Amino acid sequence: MNYGLRSICFLGSLVVMGATGCDFRAPEFHLNMVQMVSDATPTPVEYQEQIANVLGGMFGDPDEPFALPETGLDIRRLKMAAGPAWTDQKGAAFGLYRQHCSHCHGIDGDGMGPTALFLNPYPRDYRQGVYKFKSTYNPAKPTDEDLHRVLVNGIPGSAMPSFSLLPSAEVEALVEYVKYLSFRGQMETALTNYVYNDLGEEEVTDENGDPVLDDEGEPVTKLIPLDPENDPEQQEVIKELLAEIVDGWNEANEQIIVPAEDAIPTDVSDMKKFAESAAKGRELFYGTRANCMKCHGPTGLGDGQQDDYDIWNKAHLQFLESVAEDPGEGEIAQDRTEVAESLFPVRNAIPRNLRKGIYRGGNRRIDLFWRIYAGIAGSPMPGSGPASPGAQGTLTEEEMWNIVDYVLSLPYENASQPQRALPINTELVN
Amino acid sequence: MRKLFTIYSTTMLLLMLTSQLNAADWGSIKGKFVVDGSVGDPAAINVNKDTEYCGKHDLVDETVVVGDDGGLANVVVYIYTKRGQSLDVHPDFEASASEPVVLDNKGCRFEPHVIAVRTGQPLEVRNDDPGIGHNTNASFVANPGFNEMVTNGAPITKTLQKAEPVPAPVACNVHPWMKAYAVVREDPYMAVSDENGEFEILNVPAGQHEFIFWHEAKGNMKDLKMTGGKTDRKGRAKLKIASGETLDLGEIKIPAKALGK
Repeated sequence: MNYGLRSICFLGSLVVMGATGCDFRAPEFHLNMVQMVSDATPTPVEYQEQIANVLGGMFGDPDEPFALPETGLDIRRLKMAAGPAWTDQKGAAFGLYRQHCSHCHGIDGDGMGPTALFLNPYPRDYRQGVYKFKSTYNPAKPTDEDLHRVLVNGIPGSAMPSFSLLPSAEVEALVEYVKYLSFRGQMETALTNYVYNDLGEEEVTDENGDPVLDDEGEPVTKLIPLDPENDPEQQEVIKELLAEIVDGWNEANEQIIVPAEDAIPTDVSDMKKFAESAAKGRELFYGTRANCMKCHGPTGLGDGQQDDYDIWNKAHLQFLESVAEDPGEGEIAQDRTEVAESLFPVRNAIPRNLRKGIYRGGNRRIDLFWRIYAGIAGSPMPGSGPASPGAQGTLTEEEMWNIVDYVLSLPYENASQPQRALPINTELVN
Repeated sequence: MRKLFTIYSTTMLLLMLTSQLNAADWGSIKGKFVVDGSVGDPAAINVNKDTEYCGKHDLVDETVVVGDDGGLANVVVYIYTKRGQSLDVHPDFEASASEPVVLDNKGCRFEPHVIAVRTGQPLEVRNDDPGIGHNTNASFVANPGFNEMVTNGAPITKTLQKAEPVPAPVACNVHPWMKAYAVVREDPYMAVSDENGEFEILNVPAGQHEFIFWHEAKGNMKDLKMTGGKTDRKGRAKLKIASGETLDLGEIKIPAKALGK
């Protein structure tokens, strides 16, 4: 805790004399309750506590973050970003995440901070480790540089501001902390799946190894605890699960989409060539191979397919539907209903209106190229390029550059061919 | 402690030996899923995209597909394997391990509705709807997902490296009614019930296995009663496969209510 705040609090409680004083409860991480009470991985309360314990051991808490050496996370940066916001005597800032991010993205990085409900789009939930605006193949993680770029540029068209005024070291600390929250969230999911798939109930046996039966003759069962500290096999599994997550992030740098130089067709300053490329892009935009028009609409206004969802909203929608259909029984029903009520209204994924010239992931040609090549992870937008290094894509790189050029020219294209006004009014006046 | 360890390792050795000795013993399992009660006619799809082409296919909701005699199609049966555990594979499966499994975008639906594919086995995603653009969006748990455009005459081939704990949803975002599921396992011991509700898995290693029963309407199918056992809360049933024999689970009744009907 910040010492300054603590002394003010102490003074305050003296003044009030015996009143409750300041109740500074250190913030805690919460479990992803949608996952815990879902149909897919219903997780008994005992396991929820055990999962929280394991996560606490692996990642610490919001005031005291911790990272195992295997994660490769820089603990110094994490400490700069975590905890309450304060500045030391030399002016070095700490608690950056809580100062700049948590009000939208939440203490847990669940995208459900206090202001989140009022924003459209909702802030990103980091816990799945899925990010939209990046330079890598669709299923790959973003690079540090990708996250850095989003922090510095902000996301135009959303509530995400630019943090370009922060010193680079602070941005790096925040990038590290965002990754930390993703690692933690992905680990929680991995543990929940592990507990559901491989642990669970086992039959209780007596000293002879025979099953113990209850009054009705059914075998008595107990939960196999998630207790890696005392179970070397579980410890091994958890190490593997963590390694899988960390590997995914470490591989991002090998998954960057680097356009072939000979396929970059146009010198944009050459108007004629640019127009030729954009014309080819237009054909593709409305054709069925690229099929852009199906979602972005017949005039590029984003008014095509509008009833789909991104993965974050879809997960909530499916949970809400399952609770509406069958809440469950007793306490489970109560928990499920409470979780359902805590969620924000589900929103559709609305395709971008391409006539505004606002591109959330950046407006450089390479940004648009990456979007078309890899699609947008987590959103319905599919990729048209190869899905991984060496794979075959639907469109050639040149064709994708053509679409880039058309998309860049779309805000300046007439939406229709309006008729010239008839000279009725002018005639009357004359 | 040391003594305990010796006992443990001897048991392990014995276990390993027996499993090797039994490696040549195989049995089969079969059964038929039947809906108990009425599920009504499947709802017609509101075709609001590519209406001219997709509209002529009389598309219906394929969540619950029931045959004339009440057989329930698309029930998935596979064997639970603990993390890191693999099953012996009968040599007969060697040939099929490299045969591509085809998932076709055809008639504005996925054909088949549920695919079963082994890790390392090619999965070929096709688009046989002339002049219609589809994308195929697969959400996996263990494998990296994919979301790609698929065009006529240019199938996309995927190989998945890891087994999926549950069947993974596959969608087409252009035509939101299009849904499929992919069962991805390391071993070939998986089946999808056919239009009569019947399934059979051949050449399963003899011994006791935990079979998982899954259907897209309700996920893991709990409390199913069958000859020789019943499923628990996770939709798993411990069943014994005898060498050289076929374990017939008989008619497995599924209440229409359990399918959300």
